[in-house]
Amino acid sequence: MMMQQRVKRVGAAQEGESYFPLAGGHRLIFIIVIMPDSWMHLCSLVLLLSCTHINAKTVGQTSSPAEPVGQLPADVRSVVLKGRSYTDHVEVSSPINLTLQCTWTGSGSKVDNVTGYWSKDGEDIDNSHTTLRPENQQFNLQRMFTIKDEESLGKYSCMFGNEAKIDFVLAVPQISDVRDKPIISYVGDSVVMVCKMDDAKPSPKTWLWFKVNHTEKEEIDATAEPQRYEIKMDGKVTKLLVHNLTHLDSGLFHCGAVYAISTAMSHVELKVITIYEPLKPFVAIVVEVLVLVAVILMFERSLAKKRKAAASGNHVGDTEHATNAPAATTTTTTPQAEANGLEETTSTRQRKM
Amino acid sequence: MPIAPTNDVAFRPPDGGWGWMVVIGAHISIGFAYSTPKALSIFFKEIQADLEASYSDIAWISSIMLAAMYAGGPVSSVLVNRYGSRPIVILGGLMCGVSMVAASFGNSIIYLYLFIGVIAGCGLALNLNASLTIISKYFLAKRPLANGLAMAGSPVFLCFLAPLNQYLLDKFGWRGSLLILGALMLNCCVAGALMRPVGSCLSSPALQKSKEQSDNSNTKQSKQSCGSRAKKFLDLSFFKDRGFVIYLIGNILFIFGAYAPIVFLSAYAVSQGVDQYSAAYLLSIMGFVDMFVRPGTGLIANSKWIRPRVQYFFSFAMVFNGTCHLLCPLIKSYTFLVVYAVFFGVGFGMVFALIFECLMDLMGNERFPSAVGLVTIIECFPMLLGPPTAGFLVDKFDDYKYLFLMCGAVIVTGGLFLFVMNFYNYHMLEKQRRRQLNPKNPKDQDQAEMQNTLNHNFFAKESTVPGNETGSDPQGELASSE
Repeated sequence: MMMQQRVKRVGAAQEGESYFPLAGGHRLIFIIVIMPDSWMHLCSLVLLLSCTHINAKTVGQTSSPAEPVGQLPADVRSVVLKGRSYTDHVEVSSPINLTLQCTWTGSGSKVDNVTGYWSKDGEDIDNSHTTLRPENQQFNLQRMFTIKDEESLGKYSCMFGNEAKIDFVLAVPQISDVRDKPIISYVGDSVVMVCKMDDAKPSPKTWLWFKVNHTEKEEIDATAEPQRYEIKMDGKVTKLLVHNLTHLDSGLFHCGAVYAISTAMSHVELKVITIYEPLKPFVAIVVEVLVLVAVILMFERSLAKKRKAAASGNHVGDTEHATNAPAATTTTTTPQAEANGLEETTSTRQRKM
Repeated sequence: MPIAPTNDVAFRPPDGGWGWMVVIGAHISIGFAYSTPKALSIFFKEIQADLEASYSDIAWISSIMLAAMYAGGPVSSVLVNRYGSRPIVILGGLMCGVSMVAASFGNSIIYLYLFIGVIAGCGLALNLNASLTIISKYFLAKRPLANGLAMAGSPVFLCFLAPLNQYLLDKFGWRGSLLILGALMLNCCVAGALMRPVGSCLSSPALQKSKEQSDNSNTKQSKQSCGSRAKKFLDLSFFKDRGFVIYLIGNILFIFGAYAPIVFLSAYAVSQGVDQYSAAYLLSIMGFVDMFVRPGTGLIANSKWIRPRVQYFFSFAMVFNGTCHLLCPLIKSYTFLVVYAVFFGVGFGMVFALIFECLMDLMGNERFPSAVGLVTIIECFPMLLGPPTAGFLVDKFDDYKYLFLMCGAVIVTGGLFLFVMNFYNYHMLEKQRRRQLNPKNPKDQDQAEMQNTLNHNFFAKESTVPGNETGSDPQGELASSE
């Protein structure tokens, strides 16, 4: 996991943000002090040592912090600011010693020094104020933070006086694929609700599902009610199956991706309806179909009756006009004749041929 | 071989009146037939989640439905020949409705394959074939226009079904939506009710009486022709007909390249940097343009200049469509993609408005039902092979331009083939007609007289068109007498 994080840091930094170029051409500083207390740490240490660039040059004029580093892995995040402010989003999935480096190119007006300090979630961090002097026309500020639990996450800002600031938003990887429309299912049916973590983000340790009952989040224990609930987990995807739905199951379900440091939450809404809901428009449409078919067929029958009456009238009154009789019979047998004068003329024309 | 002209002389297509109600019925029927397989894809994501199947498994539902719709052609032809259009469209509507309702209770993907794919697909096959047949029975002079109006049902219904399906899905989930969709498809029964039978050989005794008064031998022949038509299931004698084979080859080439660009258009747009919603909008534009182009093409094809040369117009439409695809890879910006979508809609609409009109033109009233069944079952193969082949090209070269180049090239080849071969065919038919106008035996003389009758009747409402002898039914009759 450490290796993963480090790779992710490099990748993310290269993609979007300003990158801190060190003198000497080295790309990244790793401050690694690891005392392996488990085989996992040992493995990661071996991996790290095999591709580490260690540069002993310190950066800027700020001193290294005096906090104990312990057994946590370390990482660096650098931002070079050219304007007034910038926000960087950092994904933290497990405890880490994170060094945040800020570099500011100055505001254009020549100032001799500026007061640099750090704040977390809007509140200044004590003992973080230092006077900065420009080095190569740049102001550098860095500090290492121990991110070990949920409270350590938040927004860390490095401030250059009142002129510039860089925000680092530290958070667990968020679930971005959230379904905005409710899932509709039926009473007595089963439903599958899915929560998916993005492929690019690390896999959570486990997943938890919660049901919201009267504004209270209650964890769903699949083992307690195996006939009703079933939770499936497969790395970045989790599915909650609910069987034998009732109206009470309607509502909000929360899924949580559990990481070492915190849990990322997402939600899915379920709506349970009875079969009678879609049945109403169904019956309405079937009735409409039957009515239309009946109307069309009755209309046709009435037309046919009229023609028969007319035809029998013709036959009775008209024995001398033998030539007309075939014409009349022909026109009466074709149903649309009355509506269509053209038909009659063409058929009479045929007769003449 | 029965002399088909006799039937035409007795049963003159009305060309109007109730015929326009029949066009409405055909519009509804054809609309459901072509748009349902496409509109169902809106439900796939939900069904996939509920039944825990992969996307490709679900996508098979549409493919099976389209395949059943095309493969059911010959069966549909036999039934239509035997029973007429009305009962078949009503039966088709019932099959579709009931199968959709049954599918809404499904719990496995195989169940959906069976009910939505096979049974509803067969219902649609019955609808399609019967609707086209009844148009050929009701119209002759205005047939291209009637065809254009009826075929316009496809884009109209797609335009209307797609947002409706989305709304139903949000309100009732996929099960309720399938239930309501089943009810909607029962409206095909209303369409069937509108398709009043006309001029069929199974008409009332009064008709037979009138025939007896005119000519006894003719009656016997017409009875004979009615019976013999229904016998063959797959009438392979069509392959001896030059015009039919030309049409078939041209059509196979067209269908192979026609659907892949539609399937991959939004993906291509997204790859060019367009966002997903705008990319989906391209298809709506295409459908919208298609809606108006189809009746428009029917109107143009009905004019006295184009009607006798409708086969050339068809090949022009195909070449236009293919050229659009060939030019597509040059397009990089969204504005030009919209222009491409418009031209694509125009080309696609023109071809589909004429596709069955040309077959009716070649085959004539009597042979059309069997011919269309044969054509659709053969078209099944290019239709199922086209998009996967295109998809394979995209995967292999990782570039959409080869897809468009391939489709465009195949369609243009089809169009040019039709153009050249029809020229040759008309030439041969003209030679034959001249031979018959100087008859050497009495049988030829009778036929020549009957052809003149038909010409006169056909163009009675319009001014005499030079070279009209080679248009419409006489061509079919000449071909059959070879």
